[in-house]
Amino acid sequence: MYGWIWRHLPGNAWVRALISLVLALIVVYVLFQYVFPWAEPLLPFNDVTVDNGMAAVR
Amino acid sequence: MSTSKPSGRRRAASVISVIGELLITGGLVLALFVVYSLWWTNVLADRHAAKASQKVRQQWAQDGGGNNGTPALGLDTKDGIGFLHVPAMGRNYQVLVKKGTSTKVLNEGVAGYYTDPTPAAMPWDKTGNFTLAAHRDGHGAKFHNINKIHTGDAVVFESKDTWYVYKVYKVLDQTSKYDVAVTDQVPKESGRTKPGRYITLTTCTPVYTSRYRYVVWGELVRTQKVDAQRTPPPELR
Repeated sequence: MYGWIWRHLPGNAWVRALISLVLALIVVYVLFQYVFPWAEPLLPFNDVTVDNGMAAVR
Repeated sequence: MSTSKPSGRRRAASVISVIGELLITGGLVLALFVVYSLWWTNVLADRHAAKASQKVRQQWAQDGGGNNGTPALGLDTKDGIGFLHVPAMGRNYQVLVKKGTSTKVLNEGVAGYYTDPTPAAMPWDKTGNFTLAAHRDGHGAKFHNINKIHTGDAVVFESKDTWYVYKVYKVLDQTSKYDVAVTDQVPKESGRTKPGRYITLTTCTPVYTSRYRYVVWGELVRTQKVDAQRTPPPELR
């Protein structure tokens, strides 16, 4: 998979490395900015209040 | 790997290598999620809370110091009603208190007072329970060190014009998350049976999970007017 991406990137090894880094940063950005904030409330890690079991709908 | 002649063996190898790469990627994403939860949300929440706190303090300063004669209670439910100080959680520990315990409010790195299922009483009410919740981890992690609070410790709420000094009298280090009775106006679970002026802090426990709730109860010892310099009460010095 990563080998396939590497082979399809243009330029020499340095250019490819640079592009790879940028792609990786974009992925991290998308995860931190959109995916994790969306996923976090769905996971049972950070409910701090006492409630009647209605936390999911609040 | 050259693509000359994809024999069955080679095909299987490449499928396995893709699966392996996906597994590694999944592991990395999970690791990133931990970094996100325990570090990045704190960065965002602390930034947000610092700004919000500053705004409240500026507002108070504009309205003119503490004892200007008017019984201003500092009840501004949008920006926050005041600050909670807990010396046991750090010398300069303070957290802005806002209305509500929804995820949206608590994720701003503040403590929220309950509106549901039992609405909190305000510290200036004659009797009642001032019930608060905040995150144990991530999003500011304002109650991360709640386990450092012990019986007899001071918990101080600072409103615009008054310091409310509470003394912790009971700690419940584990209870069900459905134990809404801990936020009752007379918290019987803490051993009190008469109406009084109580404060209740709730968060999740053990750390990094939400399996149980940790509860700290205190009751009002005294109040002190805020002076022009906002001199903190002796408990905070």
